Amino acid sequence: MTEQKHLFTRLAQSHKPDCMLSLAGPEPAIVPRPEELARTLGSDTVARYAEACRPVYEDLRRIIGQISGLAILARVAGHRNLSDLPELKRCEERALATSERLFALAAPPGAESHKRQLEAAFDFSRRAMRTFSSLVPSASAEEKLGEAEVAIKRAYAHLSAATAPRAGLEMVDFSHACCCGVHADPAPKDGKNGGKHV
Amino acid sequence: MSDYSIWVLEYCYVPNYHKSGVLYGAHNEGYVKLPYCYVVIKGRDHVAMVDVGYNDKEYGKTLGDRFGVENWRDPKEVLAEVGLTPEDVDTVFVTHAHFDHFGNVEDFPNATFYIQEREISKWVWAMSLPDRMRWMMIAVDPGDIVRGVDLARDKRLVTVDGAMEDVLPGIDLHAAPDSHTWGSMWVTVRNDGKAQSSDTWVLAGDLVYQFDNLTNDGAVVDVEEMYTPVGLAVGSQANLILATEEMMSQVGYESRRVIPIHEERLNDTFPSRISKEGLRITEICLADGAGSKVS
Repeated sequence: MTEQKHLFTRLAQSHKPDCMLSLAGPEPAIVPRPEELARTLGSDTVARYAEACRPVYEDLRRIIGQISGLAILARVAGHRNLSDLPELKRCEERALATSERLFALAAPPGAESHKRQLEAAFDFSRRAMRTFSSLVPSASAEEKLGEAEVAIKRAYAHLSAATAPRAGLEMVDFSHACCCGVHADPAPKDGKNGGKHV
Repeated sequence: MSDYSIWVLEYCYVPNYHKSGVLYGAHNEGYVKLPYCYVVIKGRDHVAMVDVGYNDKEYGKTLGDRFGVENWRDPKEVLAEVGLTPEDVDTVFVTHAHFDHFGNVEDFPNATFYIQEREISKWVWAMSLPDRMRWMMIAVDPGDIVRGVDLARDKRLVTVDGAMEDVLPGIDLHAAPDSHTWGSMWVTVRNDGKAQSSDTWVLAGDLVYQFDNLTNDGAVVDVEEMYTPVGLAVGSQANLILATEEMMSQVGYESRRVIPIHEERLNDTFPSRISKEGLRITEICLADGAGSKVS
């Protein structure tokens, strides 16, 4: 590949700062739901894993919903000092419980990529929460808030990828969230997306 | 003189919804059809909507399926019935954050959304409560709040604290805190543009589901008619009744001017037609010079 082509590829894959894919980490990629895997493989182990995932989905959905609401209030209602809010503290408590549940989840063969999506959803949620904890009215508050918003979108994209109703049949459309507007490719069968742009 | 045309557009429905969900205390009275609708207000160089429905994918679809929704249609198809596209919509008034009202913001790329600040802040609080209090999160898709983050960043989300006059010319917002939801609101259209209007329409959101909420049989308390709250309230029935009284006073107690969007019998009162998809279009009123979309 020529230098020019390298430069083109790099430019084409650069994201705007408010694009969720501007953040480093595993990319959101649709993975088979463990319920489907369990049916396909007839595996009790995967079925048990699927059952154990349910409260984690719910925890993550709640955490992401809550920090989204906090981001909105910070952005449009001027509530920039979020660190003392009891809602943020409760969110952190839920996150702690979720981390324990996630740690205890043993992904059987075939479900590793699914667990990676859940872990990524959790990690990006935590990143947004940490930003909120340190958010005080200041000159840099706007920038910090922007970073938290991007992390929230990314967390939700990972959760959506892990809970897509019919993996491989129904696309989860990440194009709204990505500045390049490219649709997500379904994950290959090994669950890795090979670093492809989604 | 009428400034705005108003249509109620059905985008899906629940064929059999328990009547006690619609009318507080109507236990063991069977089921009713519950249309899911949004409202289009067109005039004064604006296209506004009251609520945007939900998107039948991801968790929104999960909730729709859970509520037994059928025949969901994309807003492109639904708005085409009145000659509009989602891109035409410049203003959306979100009466509350339930999935069937706030669940499709991404389909309206040019709109600015108005919602009560309390609706957001109290949902954040409710989501922070333990699982055993989960009832208070009923019908909320956290994904809708996530999509609100983008709107807020793009300055397309306006949070309102209480009442707001003339958001568009002659269109006001009114809050009903701790009623159907924490920060529900209704929309009042003064269609002659006057402060003391004699042509007022109230778009009630879910503060009123059906006409029965306005004019229910009052025999139980020895009156001919009485207000009866909707069946679902995270706040109080008293606050629903107080909001109903305020809405009715705005329209001079002419109950047909309070528009309930979950009402199957709107076509008994207003000109309506059924689209080829089997969904109802109801014409509440026409702006001066506007042509009918139902005849």
